[in-house]
Amino acid sequence: MSRIIVVTSGKGGVGKTTTTANLGMALAQRGHKVAVVDADFGLRNLDLLLGLENRIVYTAVEVLAGECRLDQALVRDKRQPNLALLPAAQNRTKDAVTPDQMKRLVAALTKAFHYILIDCPAGIEMGFQNAIASAREAIIVTTPEVAAVRDADRVVGLLEANDVKRMYLIINRLRPAMVEQDMMMSVKDVQDILAIPLLGVVPDDERVIVSTNRGEPLVLAENPSSAATAFSNIVRRLEGEKVPFMDLSAPPDDFFSRIRRFFQGHKP
Amino acid sequence: MTDPSVPTPVTSIPHATESVSVPQVRFRGEGGKLLLLLPPERETATPTAAWTDLWQQLKQRLNAAERFWQANTPVHLIARDRLLDARQLQAIADALTDAQLQLKRVHTTRRQTAVAAATAGFSVEQQPPIVHLNQEESGQALAEPLYIETTVRSGVEIRHPGTVIVLGDVNPGSSIVADGDVLVWGALRGVAQAGAAGNSRCLILALRMEPTQIRIADFVARAPQTPPDQYWPEVAYVTGDGIRIAKASDFSREALLE
Ligand SMILES: Nc1ncnc2c1ncn2[C@@H]1O[C@H](COP(=O)(O)OP(=O)(O)OP(=O)(O)O)[C@@H](O)[C@H]1O
Ligand SMILES: [Mg+2]
Repeated sequence: MSRIIVVTSGKGGVGKTTTTANLGMALAQRGHKVAVVDADFGLRNLDLLLGLENRIVYTAVEVLAGECRLDQALVRDKRQPNLALLPAAQNRTKDAVTPDQMKRLVAALTKAFHYILIDCPAGIEMGFQNAIASAREAIIVTTPEVAAVRDADRVVGLLEANDVKRMYLIINRLRPAMVEQDMMMSVKDVQDILAIPLLGVVPDDERVIVSTNRGEPLVLAENPSSAATAFSNIVRRLEGEKVPFMDLSAPPDDFFSRIRRFFQGHKP
Repeated sequence: MTDPSVPTPVTSIPHATESVSVPQVRFRGEGGKLLLLLPPERETATPTAAWTDLWQQLKQRLNAAERFWQANTPVHLIARDRLLDARQLQAIADALTDAQLQLKRVHTTRRQTAVAAATAGFSVEQQPPIVHLNQEESGQALAEPLYIETTVRSGVEIRHPGTVIVLGDVNPGSSIVADGDVLVWGALRGVAQAGAAGNSRCLILALRMEPTQIRIADFVARAPQTPPDQYWPEVAYVTGDGIRIAKASDFSREALLE
């Protein structure tokens, strides 16, 4: 059965699209047939990050209107033939599609792809509802900032209410030096609040920005950057492998974190 | 003897209207069946927002208390004056079925909801609007405690005309408003209000007291600026000088000295 995973965050600009592009590419490199779906109608970016902008002919909106077939709208990646993009329309708003239409699109994709990754727009309005409608799993991306974590927590609550039971956490743009100086939330601080399984931590890395601008996902690079290694590890964990976390100094275990872990183990 | 991390008491701000307890979605056992009580319609909310809100509360209640009823317990939906269409009623019935509960009957004061329920195949009881089923809330006695086993996440507000017990964390951005006590078997990081109907003898207890703000009756206190190095189970209560916080292990002795 295909895995349908929405990449979401609540807050904008925390790295959803970057994550979708890199996980999609890394999964395809591992031999899976992967479709990445841009659900950010009106503010699409995923095509840019994948360097596929100039190859878009049709979008999801034309498919839904019956103006083209689904496979005509899918953009295959030349570098990695296992990867395909279903683009969003740039000239429409988030109300251009409904949750039911998204469900139908994704259901059609499951016939040809093992993994369907949905890049969710920021916010919790219509675009979010569309993006999560068909998802069975969710990757929550947050940065170690109070506002981002607050929004992520809200989103976890909404996903729970929408029966997306399997959720994983990615903490993006961590700066260990700042954590050390107590100027940034630590991985443990974030986990304490969100209390969902951690899939990985991606360091803040300027090569992410370079790769964004070039339209080349980091995981394609010959010499992997620390962020690229983090994304590769995340994909392995997503596939059930036990991969040790990159060394990030953690405070010693105390009584309360033990209690909290006890709770986490007993979540319904 | 008092904890150095005592928050600054702010005395007696006027009783805000929002602290009047509006009941939320909740279950109540009655003679072998469960009543699923919906809060009355609020004028402010748009229909979609009202439904989304209702739905999130219902799912949360179901997720949080599953192990408190037996399989196939019949449920009566007390919809009061809420407008529900056939699809929404079916969604509620399906959610109950997933929790091994059976929707048997819909009580409503709205003709439209009654028609939708009948069309969807549920038995219906339509009462005239005056016979409000929320009479139980108008008395002085508190409702039975609300027990929830979940993480209360940002954006969630739990209001209950009785004591609220949370087995889990209460996260920043969420709030608990109880006419009785608030007990948190976990970290209290959001806003908690006890004695919301005015009883200043109510308490707030938490394994880890890190609230954004706590209120008891008309008293308000904020968390200290600098968090303490270590946490103990603590109790917040009202004294002549406003809200105090004490270690749970010291509490009863201290209260006796007052
Ligand atoms: N680990 C990182 N290190 C450095 N820069 C990063 C990192 N992750 C993301 N960025 C940068 O942050 C910006 C926002 O990233 P991205 O577009 O992936 O976020 P988003 O959550 O999809 O935003 P939106 O909510 O607008 O869709 C980009 O410029 C990206 O290059
Ligand atoms: Mg994006």
